[in-house]
Amino acid sequence: MNGLAATAAGRHLAVCHVCFKLASADGHHCPRCGAPLHLRKPRSLQRTLALLLTATILYIPANVYPIMITDQLGAPAEESTILGGVILLIELGSAPIAAVIFIASVMVPLGKLIALYYLVWSVGRGHLTKQRQRTAMYRATEFIGKWSMVDVFVVAILVSLVHLTGVLVIRPGIAAVSFAGVVIVTMLAAESFDPRLIWDRLERKHG
Amino acid sequence: MDEATPEVSRGRGISPIWIIPLVALALGIWMVIYTLMREGPDVEIRFSTAEGLEEGKTKVKYRNVQVGVVEAVSLSDDREGVLAQVKLDREVTDMLREDTRFWVVTARLGAGSVSGLDTLLSGAYIEMSPGHGRTGVREFVALERPPLTPRGTQGLRLTLVSEEAPSVSTGDSVLYKGYEVGRVESTEFDPQRQQMRHSLFIDAPFHTLVNSSVRFWDVSGVSVTAGANGIDLRVGSLDTVFFGGVTFGIPPGLPAGEAVQDEAEFRLYPSFEAAIDNPYKHGEYFVISFTQSLRGLLPGAPVEYRGIPLGRVERVMLRELVAHGQGGDGRFGSGAAIPVLIYLEPGRLGMPDSADSIDTLDHIIVNGIANGMRATLASGNLVTGNKYISIDYFPDAEPTPPGEFVGYTTIPTVPGGFARIEQQLYALLDKFNQLPLGETVAGANEALAGISTTLESLRVVLDDEKLQALAGRLDRVLDELQTALAGFSPDSAIYRNLSASLADLDRMVQHLEAFSRTIATQPNAAVFGADIPADPVPEARPR
Repeated sequence: MNGLAATAAGRHLAVCHVCFKLASADGHHCPRCGAPLHLRKPRSLQRTLALLLTATILYIPANVYPIMITDQLGAPAEESTILGGVILLIELGSAPIAAVIFIASVMVPLGKLIALYYLVWSVGRGHLTKQRQRTAMYRATEFIGKWSMVDVFVVAILVSLVHLTGVLVIRPGIAAVSFAGVVIVTMLAAESFDPRLIWDRLERKHG
Repeated sequence: MDEATPEVSRGRGISPIWIIPLVALALGIWMVIYTLMREGPDVEIRFSTAEGLEEGKTKVKYRNVQVGVVEAVSLSDDREGVLAQVKLDREVTDMLREDTRFWVVTARLGAGSVSGLDTLLSGAYIEMSPGHGRTGVREFVALERPPLTPRGTQGLRLTLVSEEAPSVSTGDSVLYKGYEVGRVESTEFDPQRQQMRHSLFIDAPFHTLVNSSVRFWDVSGVSVTAGANGIDLRVGSLDTVFFGGVTFGIPPGLPAGEAVQDEAEFRLYPSFEAAIDNPYKHGEYFVISFTQSLRGLLPGAPVEYRGIPLGRVERVMLRELVAHGQGGDGRFGSGAAIPVLIYLEPGRLGMPDSADSIDTLDHIIVNGIANGMRATLASGNLVTGNKYISIDYFPDAEPTPPGEFVGYTTIPTVPGGFARIEQQLYALLDKFNQLPLGETVAGANEALAGISTTLESLRVVLDDEKLQALAGRLDRVLDELQTALAGFSPDSAIYRNLSASLADLDRMVQHLEAFSRTIATQPNAAVFGADIPADPVPEARPR
């Protein structure tokens, strides 16, 4: 009861998304900055789900198509996919680097997607357990999001650095764009997810 | 509770955010469709070796445009070849026909040309040549070497047949009057027919030069022929000397034939002589039997009538002779004449080249034999020792009816050539032997003795003392004569006096000359003396 009374939502107060002023949720606009006022992010689950689907779709070309195309003098253009690069690195004996790339480029985006799907699903179903773990999962997802751009950065740097026309040229492939898309859209999805929803049901139940 | 319950407004209706995944999905589907649309046919090409083929790297090109790539290379099931799985572009699907050809392009050093140097850096690639046959074929067998003529080139493809391998090889030029008009595409030996078969391609518009009466001959390298006509040295262009070549032409005197079809077959003659030697299609075999040595009589040696070639020697019929002897007619082992098969062509005598002329020729020969026509073996070339057969009329020859040997008419012979000379030489030696040489030598000896006596008496005369004294006197006379002549030498007194007198005479003549000139202009000068005009003095110009 106490806890309930302690929440802003319990007092029908909503926080402004823009200037963070706590105002009555009855008013549709923030009395200070005039931004729309919501108790929770509107259509949070739907938005997150839509963005997650987009990221999932983009994840396919990101792995199927070549991320980097190397034109070398006297050799046909060499196209390398993310997984192909990982396999190549293992064959070359650079297992640690391969592991880094595999974790940063395959595991992390995939883990983020799965984690967000799980969060959306569990909130949608109204699960009441493991709220703390789920919150931790959300936080980790949000934190790790910026680091999965490593691949894109590597390609971007190589493309701009290695540009010896006719001798050695590195071009970005379709997968580079797709992969950047996956990362950005996943970040947006994490952003649009309202973690307060994890707790709402519980609070309502207790109330 | 009522008031405190947070209102979680579950937005009903569809959020516009769904456009994003829809767009992504649409893009994804479009990419898949695009890829599928671009997806070309997979073909399987069989190579004898995977040399130069690299999985995922070796390209397939058509007119140097990449149209595909080798995806996998594996051994064929029978382990006899290599199968390359090739992914081709969609655009070339229509070019995959029954007779589409593939071959590997690598750097090649060929007849007078270097090709595919770019492949040294980029690696080998597979070249495609589209076909025209049935579509839908997905399995091909690659060519061992690149075809020399791109498909669709206008021209004429011919087959040349020769009994032995001349120095003609794939890629050699086909020349017409020294100009390159085509090339040899392939050369192979047909073990069944025991023939070399060459495939030729004559480029348009030169294919019209080929008609049914042209002959092809080998102009490769340097040809040296030593025949009955002497030694013949023939050197083609530098290109053909090193790389070989084939040329063609119509033998002199032959009319142009009709046009030939594609894939027509021609004989390849080893030399120009061989090519022009056999311009006639009709001929008849005869047999001539010789009892003399046949050394130097080679197959192909001319058979001539008073220097006009009638035909050629085909071969010596030893086998038939042996078979004939064993047949039991008693000639075996009795030093029988050796039959020589000859081939006579009536066309060479100006008769039409037809079967009718053969009968006429038969008639002429039979008639001729009755009138003394005989064959002789003659020496064509004393250096090389080559012989030929000469046919002529010998009215004083013993009359012999025409014979017959294993089905051929035989022409009787008279000894000829060296055999004839030999005979005459023997006759001459016989006569020489019969001369009374012993008596002649005895007479000559006597004559020599007489000459010796005469010489002895001459020596006695010369040794006489008076003759010696005569020589001394003659010597003295000559001395005196010399002294007398010395008196007239330039140093003598007589010479000096004479010289002074002559100078005086000269002066006098000069005076006389001046005098006579004066008399001529002034006749009275002889009496009054000449008045000599004063020297002219130049005057100053009047003012």
